[in-house]
Amino acid sequence: MSIVKTSSLSKIYNPDTVPVHALKDVSVSFEKGEFTTIVGPSGSGKTTLLNMLGGLDKPTSGTVEVDGNNITGMKDSALIDFRLQNIGFVFQHYNLIPVFTALENVSFIMLLRNRSKAEMDERAKALLEAVGLGDRFDARPKQLSGGQQQRVAVARALASGPKFILADEPTANLDSASAMNLLDIMEKMNREQNITFIFSTHDQRVIDRARRVVTMVDGAIHSDERVGEAVNG
Amino acid sequence: MKMILTIAWRNIWRHPGRSGVLIAAIIAGLWAGVVTVGTMNGLLHQRVNYLIESEITHLQVHHPEFLTERRPADTLSSTAALFRFLDEDSRVQAWAPRVLADAMLQSPVKTSGVRVRGLDPQREINTTTFHERVTEGSYLNTEGIRNPVLLGEALLEQHRLRIGNRIVLTFETAEGELTSAAFNIVGQFRSASTEYDETTVLVRASDLARHLSEVPLYHEAGVLLYDIDDAPALAEALNAAFPEIRAQTWTEISPELSTLVQLGGLMLYIVTMIIMLALAFGILNTMLMALFERMREIGMLLSIGMSRVRIFMMIVLEAVLLTLTGAAAGFALALLSIRHFSASGINFEMFAEGTAELGWDHLVFPILSTGEFVSIGLIVIFVTLLASLYPAIKATKTSVIQ
Repeated sequence: MSIVKTSSLSKIYNPDTVPVHALKDVSVSFEKGEFTTIVGPSGSGKTTLLNMLGGLDKPTSGTVEVDGNNITGMKDSALIDFRLQNIGFVFQHYNLIPVFTALENVSFIMLLRNRSKAEMDERAKALLEAVGLGDRFDARPKQLSGGQQQRVAVARALASGPKFILADEPTANLDSASAMNLLDIMEKMNREQNITFIFSTHDQRVIDRARRVVTMVDGAIHSDERVGEAVNG
Repeated sequence: MKMILTIAWRNIWRHPGRSGVLIAAIIAGLWAGVVTVGTMNGLLHQRVNYLIESEITHLQVHHPEFLTERRPADTLSSTAALFRFLDEDSRVQAWAPRVLADAMLQSPVKTSGVRVRGLDPQREINTTTFHERVTEGSYLNTEGIRNPVLLGEALLEQHRLRIGNRIVLTFETAEGELTSAAFNIVGQFRSASTEYDETTVLVRASDLARHLSEVPLYHEAGVLLYDIDDAPALAEALNAAFPEIRAQTWTEISPELSTLVQLGGLMLYIVTMIIMLALAFGILNTMLMALFERMREIGMLLSIGMSRVRIFMMIVLEAVLLTLTGAAAGFALALLSIRHFSASGINFEMFAEGTAELGWDHLVFPILSTGEFVSIGLIVIFVTLLASLYPAIKATKTSVIQ
């Protein structure tokens, strides 16, 4: 069973003035345990597709189903809660809360789910250790390098126990060593914990690691290529 | 909630300079506003209290037409029963009968019109504090001097008189005849009002009554109560018991005093509103600046699952914490200042001449009641909440993919 799938998804920006067809009739599904990249030139619609998968934007037509739930018709407040419970996000610019420490940034997402403090602390510490930041619990984002911040963002994305993680250009602002380190961590989590990652990227280093590559051109899926086996689903 | 509080508090200190300036402005504004209100309160309170305690008292009794006509023949009747009533009523602390007349004062230098107040010295001391205003010489209870009189310093100066000199007062008797009598100056006074000092002379009630009529008479009784709030009820009781007289409370006797009290309330309202308006714009400006800088971050918070209600609360809490920090310091500073000045007074001596002309003391003791403090505090919180609504609502409308 697919963990997230779209059916005839279309998105038109400025429909009444200068219509821009960002997505054209996109139907695609992603299985649990996949390590997928969505690639394509700028303006091909990959970020739009990622936003649709994450319930961050509404399609003009078509549906998005997450674990069997159609999220396209959900009200805004229900969608926010749904995202909190089901989807993890990693952004290109890290987007950590600057006034929080690394530990608080990771705990924060669990707090939104009303977890106990003991549970939050234990899980947040474990996640930060898993991304190699066991010694930086109390560091604020500005005290961390870009690679370290992005690793905190990965830990935060995992904190609420999401069904899959959407990562929009996660390595775009990182140097090679940091990017490879981050990919190692995410790949390891994918293989060992069966965590589903869906990337949107230009970065060949990410594409090289992916076991499925969905290529988009002009808002439509141009190719969908499996280059390796998914971990157990 | 604790995490939202934490994030709100830390957000305030992202830009210590900007938050610091707003906090400093709140401290200065509240301090200045509260001290100004306290000073105005004190000034008005002193003026009202002075007039009540030194002369007007809480309640006065007259012939129904005396205050409008001021005829010497409009005297109090049934005085024995009236005075017995006042002696026996438990609400009355003290009372003093007075004989009043308009007169011409003649001295070797000039002649001027004056109001003569005939007082019962002992009862007057128990009822009013005017005797404390005697600056030189003695009060009217001196023995051995015939027809003693007290003049204001300003009047003495105008007539180039001194203690020990003699003046002649000419007035109309109860029968409508003109009569004159010589009075000996035994002392001088300085009230808070130069105009009062220039137009008022004080004599013994018995001396004045003797010249006005062959039978004892009184025009007025001033009544001091234990509780000022009992004045309307006692006035009503007196008017019911003695239809031939008219008892009036201090607000009826001196409507300008009542207006002063209302003016105090109005000034409190105006000053508070000005401070609150400045506060509201300060908060609005700071919160909008903070919000515009953090649109992406708020979009991210919405993306990862922070509800719009929590975003709203976060912005409101930021505004409230920011204001309360400044307000707490501002109130503390204002409280200390008012405590200090309520003991020592604020000396407006450089304006003493002008304030005396207007009948105001130059030494002002600020007053602010707990209720007024609490009211201003609640208004600050209310205004803060109101001013933070727009930025908070705007924050909740942020797009998740900013």
